[in-house]
Amino acid sequence: MAISKDVYKEFEDVVGEENISDDPAIKDAYRSPNITVVLPGDTEEVAAVVKLCNKHKIPFKAQSTGWSFMPPTYDFIFLDLRRMNCIIEINEKNMYAVVEPYVISAELQGELFKRGMICNVKGSGSTCTALAMSGHGHMGLTTSTGDRNDLATEWVTDEGEIIRLGTLGASDEWFCGDGPGPSLRGILRGGGVITKQATKVYHWPGPSVYPLEGSSPRYTLSQKPSDLNMMVRYFSFPSIEKLVEAELKIGESEIAFELMGFCPSMVSSNITTSNEEDFATLDKFTKEVQGPGFMVIIAGNFPEDFAYKKKVLAQIIKETGGKSLKTVEDPAVESTLLFQCTRVCASIRETFRAGGAFSSMMVQGQRYDNHVRWLEEAAVLKRELIKKGLVIADDGQQFGWGEEQGHLGHTEIFCRFNPYDEKSSKAVQEWLGKVGKRALDGCFAVPAMGVLPIDEIGKHVSNYHIWFGKLKKAFDPNEVGENTGYSYVGADISGVHTSIYKKEPEKASSKK
Amino acid sequence: MAIEDYRGDVEMCCRCGACKHIPLQKVKGIEHSYACPSIAKYNFHAYSGSGRLLIAKEMLTKGFKYTDKLLDIVYNCQMCGACDISCKYAMDMEVLLPINEFRIKCVEEGHTHPALEKVINSLRKQGTMVPGARGKRAAWAEGLGLKDATKEKVAVYYHVGCLTSYDKNYQKLAKATAKILKKAGVDFGIGYENESCCGGRAFQMGYKEDFLNQAKKNMAMLKKAGVKTLVTGCAAGYQAFKVLYDKYNLKGKLEVVHITEYLARLIKEGKLKLNKKVNMTVTYHDPCYLGRLGEPWIHWEGKRIPGYKFVFDPPKEYRRGTNGVYEPPREVIKSIPGLKLAEMDRIKEYAWCCGAGGGVNQSNPEFAMWTAKERIEEAESTGAEAIATACPWCEKNFNEAIKKSGSALKVYDIVELVEKAI
Ligand SMILES: Cc1cc2nc3c(=O)[nH]c(=O)nc-3n(C[C@H](O)[C@H](O)[C@H](O)COP(=O)(O)OP(=O)(O)OC[C@H]3O[C@@H](n4cnc5c(N)ncnc54)[C@H](O)[C@@H]3O)c2cc1C
Ligand code: SF4
Ligand code: SF4
Repeated sequence: MAISKDVYKEFEDVVGEENISDDPAIKDAYRSPNITVVLPGDTEEVAAVVKLCNKHKIPFKAQSTGWSFMPPTYDFIFLDLRRMNCIIEINEKNMYAVVEPYVISAELQGELFKRGMICNVKGSGSTCTALAMSGHGHMGLTTSTGDRNDLATEWVTDEGEIIRLGTLGASDEWFCGDGPGPSLRGILRGGGVITKQATKVYHWPGPSVYPLEGSSPRYTLSQKPSDLNMMVRYFSFPSIEKLVEAELKIGESEIAFELMGFCPSMVSSNITTSNEEDFATLDKFTKEVQGPGFMVIIAGNFPEDFAYKKKVLAQIIKETGGKSLKTVEDPAVESTLLFQCTRVCASIRETFRAGGAFSSMMVQGQRYDNHVRWLEEAAVLKRELIKKGLVIADDGQQFGWGEEQGHLGHTEIFCRFNPYDEKSSKAVQEWLGKVGKRALDGCFAVPAMGVLPIDEIGKHVSNYHIWFGKLKKAFDPNEVGENTGYSYVGADISGVHTSIYKKEPEKASSKK
Repeated sequence: MAIEDYRGDVEMCCRCGACKHIPLQKVKGIEHSYACPSIAKYNFHAYSGSGRLLIAKEMLTKGFKYTDKLLDIVYNCQMCGACDISCKYAMDMEVLLPINEFRIKCVEEGHTHPALEKVINSLRKQGTMVPGARGKRAAWAEGLGLKDATKEKVAVYYHVGCLTSYDKNYQKLAKATAKILKKAGVDFGIGYENESCCGGRAFQMGYKEDFLNQAKKNMAMLKKAGVKTLVTGCAAGYQAFKVLYDKYNLKGKLEVVHITEYLARLIKEGKLKLNKKVNMTVTYHDPCYLGRLGEPWIHWEGKRIPGYKFVFDPPKEYRRGTNGVYEPPREVIKSIPGLKLAEMDRIKEYAWCCGAGGGVNQSNPEFAMWTAKERIEEAESTGAEAIATACPWCEKNFNEAIKKSGSALKVYDIVELVEKAI
């Protein structure tokens, strides 16, 4: 990046010589030729770096663990928050945990398990930040979703001001995001840097440590899931209506810990340890299922509770014509799904392993009726790509899950493909555009941003983007903060999670 | 194979970051969640397994640009392979092999590290990885009456290794091994001055040619002596003879056994009786080169099947750390009366490195010490009085870290514990 030696020195003075670099090798590892990387150690250093960016009008961008970080094409100061990796507090009584950005979910979850508690973990996996931010995950049925879990937050604005939001604004307490004290939760959607955040935690009926045995990549539980008062099953249904009915009943009866609307390919990816094994297993599963399905995890607090929940589940499945996938009833397979889908430790088996990239379109808010119907259409379009041999053949299936016992939901469909095959990449991009547009035009849902232009989405939702633009301007007068479309923090706005960046980023002197 | 041959693998890296940590389902909290010493110490993503692959990917496309920082990244890696295991829990791709090839390329193109050059010069001149080694390789064996395996046929050849042969503080391991093998009635011999460095550490440092020279020299000697079974107490040596020699088709039918495997066998067969009590609680440190990297080499040649899937013809079987040597050392420990084993958080295929691997103890002693101290603290947290290991390089690094940190923890090689029990 073309910042002068003097300016570089100013940043260096903030973070120390060993925590700044613009060496080409360092940049290569961040997949961006445009950056100077700084590793701030605390909130004050973050604020000082951001202030310097304002002073010199150099754009900046922060990352937590960097999994969905998409490097911009303009020159920027890049704040890698790796050194900010402390769990500040776990408050058992008020059920929250306060973390810095580079605490990963696996770490927080490990600590919480010991206390009989659990946090929401983003579906991307427990390598990602434990900050609440926006994030939907496997356990949403009981642990809700990222942007409904964030409580008090420490935030460095785009101008470098440190703001303490929620109860933190009026006290040292972290228990509420909305006050007493300022609440800016509604606008914490891109921009600034979250340096500490409290996230809600929930009751965990499972063990404090999973009794794992065996070696990688085939860990298994030394006890049967039923010995832990836990059970995993996969059910397929004769129709989407029956699946929806079953999901609603499960939510209503509050008997499940997790309900993951996996397609068979996600089950087979999870339980297999190589691509070859995965494709063979998927073939078998595709023949076994009768229609769309979901995976459900029951977790009893004690044997009688477990027995009750199982009984209710059996009744619901009977009423809705569900069919259990026999392979999952094998305790070894069940074990794998149990710890993997509660610890969220194998999502790259589901997404990247097969072809090297996946590209996703998701809709959020509710799950039933509209969203599921949109999915059916998106799947038809996906099957066309499969027929042409452009994406991994998984029968066009999709997935999603209910959140807060089904009052909310997340619905998603993705294509896995080889990102180095131009034809595939192009076809997938077009498919994304089509299904995104269909979601809007058919009034099914508002698709996640990144695929469609913000203006196009905005006009369907009260022109919120215009208001957001004004807010952004007020917070970021020097236009140095994130401006890639007021995306929600937590997932970068590009809908494409690929492992490559083929195009040389344009050499732009300014991000405008 | 060269770095170019791993283009497909480096392109597969999705930047998930799992290679920084132990397998995620094993993470019990904020402590001991990291697997990679390099990222844990140096923080820039470049120092992680993934960062190294991403650099390789860029440079394979745009050409190799050697900056001081790049070399700092390259040489501050213990080649411990923890990243490789964590990645392969979920992915079908190589991680450590391209990292290793990257380093080999640096060496081949003359971008070496001065401290490692010194070590390699010693290897070239004296056949040992212990620079400035004085005296005879087998001075420790004087008066023990051990057979010379190059002069008479023996059932077992004991390869002593450079550090154990030359470092006065670790010759005790050779003596203990000889004593135990004698006690168990094993017909064994040593190579005396014909023993030469296995070359394994040279390979880790990137000096492939020097490694191959050593390997060829050793195999010629062993063949001439008619050796069928080689036993060694050095984890680096074990991995060299068993895995690397096989990789380069030099091993032939030689049976390579680590001393802990051999002792476990002798104990099972009733040939070695451990009857003296050793009242102590120890924790066990899996040396990387005995544990995950001690997994046998898998010969495979094939091509990626064109198309959208990352699959090969014939199907590629990956070394994922499943078949490393984990149980035999534990079996030996458990056979010693009075000795209790308390496990650390990071064990077996996801053990934390002692810090000495990849030549880091020579190229950056401070980093090697930092890594060892982390392990010492982890060992202490188990409540054990001592950390047991099965490699002289680990023992040496731990001893130095303990000296520096003032820890009260004791360090033993398993052969020392067995010696106490006979
Ligand atoms: C394979 C895969 C699967 C995924 N599945 C899901 C899923 O099921 N559900 C889901 O919700 N998401 C999913 N995602 C996206 C997911 O939300 C993110 O991967 C995750 O939240 C990223 O966390 P991170 O720590 O890696 O963020 P980063 O990659 O570090 O950052 C992501 C974005 O947030 C910004 N950011 C990060 N930290 C801060 C901070 N402290 N302050 C301000 N801005 C910040 C960054 O600038 C960037 O724009 C998936 C992604 C991948 C790659
Ligand atoms: S090397 Fe493997 S584990 Fe590491 S980021 Fe890449 S894909 Fe993930
Ligand atoms: S080999 Fe070890 S030190 Fe090197 S990158 Fe991998 S885990 Fe880190």
